[in-house]
Amino acid sequence: MTVTGPVLTARAPYAQVDPYADAVTAASARFLYRLNPLAKLLAPVPAIVLLIFTRDAATPLAFLALSYAVLLVGVSFTRRLVAVLLLGLPLGALIIGIGFSLWTDPSHVDQSIVVWQIGSWTVYAGAFAVGLATGLRLAAIVALTLIAGLSTTGPDLVRATVQQLRVPYRIGYTALAAFRFVPRFAHELEVIRRAHRVRGAHGGRGPFAVIARWSGYIVPLMAGAIRHAERVALAMDARAFGAYADRTERHLVPFRTRDVVFIVLFLAASAAIFFICNALWGSTPNPRVADARPWGPA
Amino acid sequence: MTGLERPPSAAAQVTLPGDDVARPRALLRVRDVAITHEGADAATPAAVSFEVAPGEVVLLLGPSGSGKSTLTLALNGLIPHAVPAEVHGTIDVGGVAASVTSVAVLSTHVGMVFQDPDAQLVTGTLLDEVAFGPENLRMPVAEVLGRSEDALRRVGLWERRGENPDRLSGGGRQRLAIACALAMGSPLLVLDEPTANLDPQGTEEVYAALAELVAAGDRAILLVEHNLDAAIGFVDRAVVLDKDGRLVADGTVDAVLQGRAEELHAMGVWLPTSTLAALRLRQAGYSLDPLPLTPDQLRAALEAEPPVPLPLAQSSPPPESSAEPLISVRGLTLTRGRSTVLHDIDLEVQRGDFVAVVGANGAGKTSLVQAIAGVVPPPRGTVHLDGLDVGRADARTLTSRIGFVFQNPEHQFVAHTVFDEVAHGLRLRGLPDTEVRERTEALLERFGLTAKAGTHPFLLSGGQKRRLSVGTALVAGAPVLALDEPTFGQDRARADELLGLLRELNRDGTTILVVTHDMQLVAEYADRMVVMAEGRVLTHGTTTDVFADADLVERAGLRLPPLARALRGITGHPELTGIARLRDLPSAPPASRPPGSAA
Repeated sequence: MTVTGPVLTARAPYAQVDPYADAVTAASARFLYRLNPLAKLLAPVPAIVLLIFTRDAATPLAFLALSYAVLLVGVSFTRRLVAVLLLGLPLGALIIGIGFSLWTDPSHVDQSIVVWQIGSWTVYAGAFAVGLATGLRLAAIVALTLIAGLSTTGPDLVRATVQQLRVPYRIGYTALAAFRFVPRFAHELEVIRRAHRVRGAHGGRGPFAVIARWSGYIVPLMAGAIRHAERVALAMDARAFGAYADRTERHLVPFRTRDVVFIVLFLAASAAIFFICNALWGSTPNPRVADARPWGPA
Repeated sequence: MTGLERPPSAAAQVTLPGDDVARPRALLRVRDVAITHEGADAATPAAVSFEVAPGEVVLLLGPSGSGKSTLTLALNGLIPHAVPAEVHGTIDVGGVAASVTSVAVLSTHVGMVFQDPDAQLVTGTLLDEVAFGPENLRMPVAEVLGRSEDALRRVGLWERRGENPDRLSGGGRQRLAIACALAMGSPLLVLDEPTANLDPQGTEEVYAALAELVAAGDRAILLVEHNLDAAIGFVDRAVVLDKDGRLVADGTVDAVLQGRAEELHAMGVWLPTSTLAALRLRQAGYSLDPLPLTPDQLRAALEAEPPVPLPLAQSSPPPESSAEPLISVRGLTLTRGRSTVLHDIDLEVQRGDFVAVVGANGAGKTSLVQAIAGVVPPPRGTVHLDGLDVGRADARTLTSRIGFVFQNPEHQFVAHTVFDEVAHGLRLRGLPDTEVRERTEALLERFGLTAKAGTHPFLLSGGQKRRLSVGTALVAGAPVLALDEPTFGQDRARADELLGLLRELNRDGTTILVVTHDMQLVAEYADRMVVMAEGRVLTHGTTTDVFADADLVERAGLRLPPLARALRGITGHPELTGIARLRDLPSAPPASRPPGSAA
């Protein structure tokens, strides 16, 4: 994921995505841009892992608040950021939450309050509690990944993995070159769809027609992709790609004290949130909520 | 990657045993080279030997399939190190043998520029792109930056170093590719069809950049190019392969192209348009000795000659417009996203016309033709095809009125065999099986694909794929055929074959609408042309009339085709003024020409 503001997206001729766009230049308070991508990526990982195992609503809410705070201070305040934080995430959490409430096995939840009853189908408030907690959990996980996602460019992430994680640069930079394929293939797919529509191929509605239609796009798309990839590979080889075990790096992505400070602070905040939430709500909730499995078999 | 890996600085000093130090060293020595691709029966090239000296500009010529591109890939070791193939003979690059040296080391001796500018981009800014090679060579940052700046300045892109390469035009991206090759520091630059994917303006840009390189004289250049008209000006030597990939000529451009022009022409080697024109004029009684190679030379040679008594060459008069146009476009405005791609277009096309839609990249040519064919639905009431409102028509009705051929034929293949591919359009109409079979077989016969009926369309050769795509577009009986850049990225032989097929279809009554930016092809085949610029129709008229207005052609970002450039306003030979197509030139001596006949 990269930072591509509305101005930058206009650059690519047929693309909505410019994976190489520079991070927006921002005021010094927007500290996230100046952190090592790995720090931004790794610091939230313990919290994400622990969130998977929580069942209450308070912990994810607290982490949502933490990520929102970090994002609102740390990255530039753009329309896209507002849309993601105020519309995308809450709506997504709500939809997933309601979906899971209806899906939850009613025999495992608190059945004291009935929300509605249609025939023999009863939805209990307990199911909503479980569903919304799940939605909040997913939203919190997404928000935590956005900390790195909204403030890191693809190239910087690749450089960091090469420079700090010692990933072979042949792999990292090949991945980087592959970014360039994305807008190209999007454009090519659009042309193929038009071409097939002109031929009157796989007309009709319904899921089977859709599957037939898309499977028809795969062969020409893959044929073009492989040919293009071969050409790019030759062009890269012709410029000594992979000549040595390492290569000159003009863009250093250092791992500095501030990255350590960020990680330590973030871990401390995560631990504090878990501790407090556990102390306040951890023992109180209804035990039946705790062992409810939204995905459990009926 | 295989082979020895040596630091490039050391490799440059390596001298082969027995190498004569006193002799001025050739940058490249090719000896009896034959290359057989994996799975191929015969070697192409089959037997090639030549040398390139420092600072020389060598043109590598040969008919399609003679192995020119294969040979260029072998020069920096991509063959056999990256592309499996069997290489016989020796290729000696700056003192090292290509067969046992890694591509990385060879890359410091031979810089490569390929045909497709998009397939040579790796990074996000121009500067990073040029620095990519030197960085791979582990050069210190200061030297990486120094080389990058020097290379970008030489192609005139230094000011734009911070931009994403996507923002450059095709010509700009190809100049960037040249800069990338320069930054490798190699004394020899190999360019394989560098302008095949470019519009006329892009081609001119690339050749202007190359001409400056040549003028500086510090790099030798080996150039594979079918667009000889652009390249011929600054080439020193020509090396020619025949169709089997054997060396048939190696000498100065004058000796090879002027001295053996007729022989090369017969072999299927593309000659500059001016040379072809001169060969034809010689048959008509002009002396034209020595043979001209460029439009300027042709013009000068003609002006120096006394007029040859000939009846005025008269191109066949354009067919009189019938009352009812077949295609009529009224006030067509098309928007895509927030931008308007077509502005208020009015256009009429008569039945039986052969119309070329031309313009610079982004002028709206493809959008216009796609709107006419209903590929992108136009607003209702703006486009009528033989009385049918395209904006309201469904796909099935449209395919029986107009066939559309996309730039890449592979994009529109939907079936698993060639037969089913053609039959698809007929089956959609619910025709009985016997009729489907009959009509499909007849069409395959006509397009020379009967033997391939059971083959998967993707396994056809490039020319066959193109013919099949034309066939599928026409099988439903459409009286109009629209083609989007059918000659893009192809060599002249294949382009000529396709256009020949289109001319045949046109003679049989099919109206043809073709988007292209190959001006000489337009001149040769189209009766009428639509010139577009910035989403508007700049002019629309007969090819002759449009080419008579050089300023307008220039304004549209296009260039006059070479023959028109040579003969425009020529004073000594009124019979030749304004001719743009080769077949309009007089070719038979005056005695055998019945007066007034078309050439």
